[in-house]
Amino acid sequence: MSVVGHPEPAMAESPRKARADAVQAADDRGALGHRFLRAGVTTLIWCVVLFLCVVPLGLVVAISFGHKVEGAGWEWAFTFENYYRFLVGANWPAETTFLYLTQLYWSMRYAVVASVLAVATALPFTYLLTRQSRRAQARWLVFLLTSLSLSEVFIVMGWDIILSNNSGLPVLFSASGLTDWMKATGWFDVLRDWGLASPRNVKFKTSEFATVLTMSYLVWPYAVILLYPALSRLDPSMAEAARTMGARPWTVARTVILPAVRLPLMGTALLLFVFLLGGYVAVTVFADPAKQTTAVSVFEHVRGSTLNAPFGAAQSVILLVTAAAFLVLGQRLSRRSEGAS
Amino acid sequence: MGVLALSTIRKDYGETRAVDDVTLDFPEGELTALLGPSGCGKTTLLRMIAGLEAPSRGTIALRGRDITQLPAHRRKFGMVFQNFALFPHLSVRENVAYALTIGGTARAEAAARADRLLDLVQLSGYGDRRTGQLSGGQRQRVAIARALAQEPEVFLLDEPMSALDAKLREEMQVELRLLQQRLGITTIVVTHDQREAMTMADRIVVMSAGRVEQAGSPQDIYRWPATAFVAGFIGRANFMDGVADQGRVMVGDVALSLPEPVKFLSGSPVRLTCRPEAIRLEAAGVPLNRVQGTVTFVRDLGPVRDIHLDTVLGKIVAEQTPDHSLPGIQVGQTVHLTLPPEALRIYPRPRTAMAAA
Repeated sequence: MSVVGHPEPAMAESPRKARADAVQAADDRGALGHRFLRAGVTTLIWCVVLFLCVVPLGLVVAISFGHKVEGAGWEWAFTFENYYRFLVGANWPAETTFLYLTQLYWSMRYAVVASVLAVATALPFTYLLTRQSRRAQARWLVFLLTSLSLSEVFIVMGWDIILSNNSGLPVLFSASGLTDWMKATGWFDVLRDWGLASPRNVKFKTSEFATVLTMSYLVWPYAVILLYPALSRLDPSMAEAARTMGARPWTVARTVILPAVRLPLMGTALLLFVFLLGGYVAVTVFADPAKQTTAVSVFEHVRGSTLNAPFGAAQSVILLVTAAAFLVLGQRLSRRSEGAS
Repeated sequence: MGVLALSTIRKDYGETRAVDDVTLDFPEGELTALLGPSGCGKTTLLRMIAGLEAPSRGTIALRGRDITQLPAHRRKFGMVFQNFALFPHLSVRENVAYALTIGGTARAEAAARADRLLDLVQLSGYGDRRTGQLSGGQRQRVAIARALAQEPEVFLLDEPMSALDAKLREEMQVELRLLQQRLGITTIVVTHDQREAMTMADRIVVMSAGRVEQAGSPQDIYRWPATAFVAGFIGRANFMDGVADQGRVMVGDVALSLPEPVKFLSGSPVRLTCRPEAIRLEAAGVPLNRVQGTVTFVRDLGPVRDIHLDTVLGKIVAEQTPDHSLPGIQVGQTVHLTLPPEALRIYPRPRTAMAAA
C-alpha cells in the first residue's frame, strides 16, 4: 500500500494488529497530506471564482455609488445621485424625467417579445424535428450549432442589408410591384399605421419590428437546442393515445404536448429574455433613437461620448437587478404551477 | 358480418411490406387476439385499425361504413398502449376523464363517469393520485379505464401485458377477459404470447411476415393448425420432413400412416407435425407408426415430463404425465414410441426448408 494512497478501511480489520497499526499510521499521514492538498485546491478555485466574478461585479456596484466630476473623470463616493437620475432624472425634484426608465421599458419589451417569438416558433419546429429520422435530426442540430458560431455583429449586418431601404426587401417590394399592389388593396395604409412604411415604400429601418425580428433570430438556435432534450424525451404514444380519444391535432398540442413541456418552455423563454436584456448591436442598428435600451445607454456612458462611469455602472446594476427579479419571478411561477398541477 | 371488416389491407414502408393482403372480420362483442412473432405486422395492423397509420391499399369498414380515410380522432377507438401512455401532468381521474373533457362533457359529469370507470377497474379512491404514484398493474387499469371512457365501438390493446411482471400478467389476463365479457365490447388485442392469446381470446389470428396464417378459435388453432408455422408457433410440435408415397409418408426409411390416405402426389416433399403430448411411449397394441428411440435427456417439470429422444425420424420430444410414463425412464435407455395416426398433421414442406435439405 502506498503511503499517500487513500485509507482503506478493510486493512484496519486485519487480525495482524501491529502491522495494521503501522499501516494505519502511514495512512493517517497520507490522509492528512491528501486533506491539505484538497483544501489548497479548493481555496485556489474559490479565489479564481472570486477574482473573476465577484470582484468585477463588486467594482461595478461600488462605482455606481461614485460621483461624476463635471468636465473631468469621477471619484469614489457614496451617493445615490446616479440611481435618482435613473429613476426620476438628474434635476429632481425641480423637474422629473423618465428617460432612463423608458429605456429600461424598451429593454424589457424587446427582450420579452423577441424571446416569446423565438420560443413560440422554435417549439413547433423542434417538435417536428424530433419526429424526423435520427440522421435528419443530427444534420439539423449540427447546422444550428454551427450557426451559433456566427457573431452577433455578422448576423445583424446580414439583416441590416436585408431590411435596408436602398438594397433590401423594400427595393424588392417596389421592383416586384408588391408595393403598388399593397397600395391598391389598402394594406399599405395598415403598414403605415404600424410604422413600417414611408409615404412612398415599405420601410423596416428603423422599427420595432426589425429590432425584435433580428433579436429573436439571434436567439432562435438557442431556443431549439434548449427545447430539444425535453421534446425528444416526449413519448409519441401520449399524443397517439390522445388522438384515439378524439383529440384533434390542435387539442393534442394544447392538452398533451404543451403541458408536458411547460417547464422547459418557461425556462427557455426566461433564459433567452435575460440574454436579450443586454442585447446591444441589434438595438443600435434597428431601433428608433427614441426607443433605445438601457444596454445601449450603459455603453455610451462607460465608453461613449458622455464618459460617466458611475451612472453607467448604476444602469448596469439596475439591469442586473431586473434580470434577477425576472428569474426569481419565473422560479416562483414554475414552482407554483408545479404545486398546482 | 362483423362490426369491423378489413379487406385486402396492405402496408408498405418503402421497400418493406409490413402487412400483406389481410382480410379479416371482427364479430360483435368478441375478443380477437392478433398473435405472431415480433415484426409480423400485428401492431401495424392494429395501428391502421386505430387510424394512426394509413393502409397503402385496402379498406377498413365499421358496420358497413368505409372508414379507411377517417383520422384517429374521428374513429375514437379506445386504445391501450404498450407503455400505457398516461398523461403525467393529469391526475388519475383527469386521465380517465380526458376523452370526455375534450369532448365537451361538463366537468362534474366527466368526473363522475371517471369515478365509475375507476370503480369498474377496481381503482376506486385512486382518482386524486398522480399517475407516477401507481404500480404497473394500476397504471394498466387506468389506461384501460381511460380508453373505455368514450364508450368506443372497438377497443384496441397493443401488447397490454408486456410491461407487467409474469405473475401480475396472468391475473390481469383473466381480469381483462372478465371485464371485456361483462361489457360485451368488441376487442382486439395484439400479443406475441400464445398463452395470453389462449387465455383471453374468442378467436386468434396468427400472423407471420405480414400475412394471416390462420384465424380461428384457440382450440381449433391448437388442434388443427393450418400451416406448419402455426403448428410450431402455437404450443410445441415435433417436425418430420418426408416425402409422400402412395397415401403414406416416408420419413427416411420409415413409412408413417395418417388416418386417411395422404392426398399429396407421390414424391412431393411434405412436413409432418406431432404434438409432444400425443406421442406414446409403449410397445402395446398395433405396431403402427412405431419406432425405436434412445433417451438423450429427461426434463422433469413436475406436472409433466419431457423425454428427449434420438430416433430414425430425427430428434423427438415426448411429453408424459407421470401416471402415463414408464417407471424409471433413464438416459441411454432404448424405448418404443408410437406416433398415433390421428395426431399427425401434414403440410407441404416450406420452400426454405427444401433449399436447406
